[in-house]
Amino acid sequence: MNTLIDAVAVESRKARSAMVLWSTGALLALGVATLAAVVVVAGRGGDPAILAKLGPQAATGDWAALLATAAQVTAAGGLLAFGVGLSWLIGREFADGTVSGLFGLPVSRSDIAAAKLIVFLAWAFAVSAALTVLLLVAGVALGLGAPDSAAMAGLVRQLALGALTALIAVPAGWAASLGRGLLPGIAVTVGVLVLAQVSVLADFASWIPFVAPAFWSIHPDVDSALALSVVPLVPLIFGAATIFVWRRLQLDR
Amino acid sequence: MSDLRLRLTGVSRTYRGGAGVHGVDLVVEAGEIHALVGLNGAGKSTLMKLMVGMLQAEAGTVEVLGRNIFGTDGVDWAQVGALIEYPLAYGELDGRTNLLMAARLRGMRGEAAATAVDGAINELHLDRYSAVRARRLSLGNKQRIGLAAALQHHPKLIVLDEPTNALDPSGVILLREALLRRAEAGAGILISSHHLDEVARIATRISVIADGRIVGHLDPDGIDIERAFFAMVYTAEATTT
Repeated sequence: MNTLIDAVAVESRKARSAMVLWSTGALLALGVATLAAVVVVAGRGGDPAILAKLGPQAATGDWAALLATAAQVTAAGGLLAFGVGLSWLIGREFADGTVSGLFGLPVSRSDIAAAKLIVFLAWAFAVSAALTVLLLVAGVALGLGAPDSAAMAGLVRQLALGALTALIAVPAGWAASLGRGLLPGIAVTVGVLVLAQVSVLADFASWIPFVAPAFWSIHPDVDSALALSVVPLVPLIFGAATIFVWRRLQLDR
Repeated sequence: MSDLRLRLTGVSRTYRGGAGVHGVDLVVEAGEIHALVGLNGAGKSTLMKLMVGMLQAEAGTVEVLGRNIFGTDGVDWAQVGALIEYPLAYGELDGRTNLLMAARLRGMRGEAAATAVDGAINELHLDRYSAVRARRLSLGNKQRIGLAAALQHHPKLIVLDEPTNALDPSGVILLREALLRRAEAGAGILISSHHLDEVARIATRISVIADGRIVGHLDPDGIDIERAFFAMVYTAEATTT
């Protein structure tokens, strides 16, 4: 247990100085909040052509429009950002060659892999929380008034959506470990993203863990909420697979 | 037995195509600087990777500080310092923080880690670079950081693969003195190199590796070890072809 604590301390210190994580997190939080705010402003402008393009959900120009837009963008953009972050956290050890310094230590490579996953989740949850706060600030700044109970529920849903999106990004860490670099992780992230978005558009297979958060972001009803219960399977299976790859790792290629 | 820091017995690992190391026996005793010399591709790095688990042997055993590295007893890796291939220097961290992280990975915390790091910074003259991010350091200074990370905890076994790579002359002298001090204090040291004159200055034993096999030993005090080295290597190549 002490060696896992040591590994988490090291990985979190590295993450705190990592421009990749800071910039990716800032881009996601500020980008989604800004986009959602722009949609609200456009909706309140009343231009019939723009209202038609925004659709009925976003055209209302209220808290519901702000949060619905943010949820839709988070389901896709959040997955990409979190997948890139985790791919970098793991793949950079191979790309930079520093992985060779992670052998012959009291801290096992399993602990190092677990620490990377823990730090990733902490980072992704922090980014999700920052995005939620930014949306609250944006809504108030746009003059939408104090959030009512429905808006508060939407903000909580937004926070949960960010966390769930981080969970389904974990396969990127497994792919980056197996492929020993950043690109395999990013490729798997893009694959999951396409699967989720196509399934949502086709209104198909909402029970698939990779699809459930995106589906829920569009249709936050009881059925889609129930489907979320399978999402934790993704980090459990792919987190264990990532740790397994690191435990068996040999630098033979 | 307690003086034996490292023992390889019949160790083999073959890559696709036949390269690798084959049936290698090698020991490193306490207080000894054992140099492994060979041409590029002779198997030096592969052998060192086997010593810290970066590769698993297909045959033979690797004992570090008296324990089989793939056994159930567990090696006390906190007593080992190794630099194989790339230095453990993260670009986003400065020199001192990199060393603190390396210390933490060996279970050192707080005051003990800070003292060890400060000692290594002084010993390898890293003061100027301790507050500079590693990505801005030259290759040679990154190598110094990596060497400091491998030496700062005063391990009982030190394994360094081509440690003088990219070092300037002053860095080479600082490393030489650091290794001699540690050997005098009882550490067992294995270094690989293809600089015969450099290893002859500090080594107490020199093993020659060619085509993945230990093909002989050189006398560090010998008069013309370069000639003796090439004679061994060419004889080995003639035998295998």
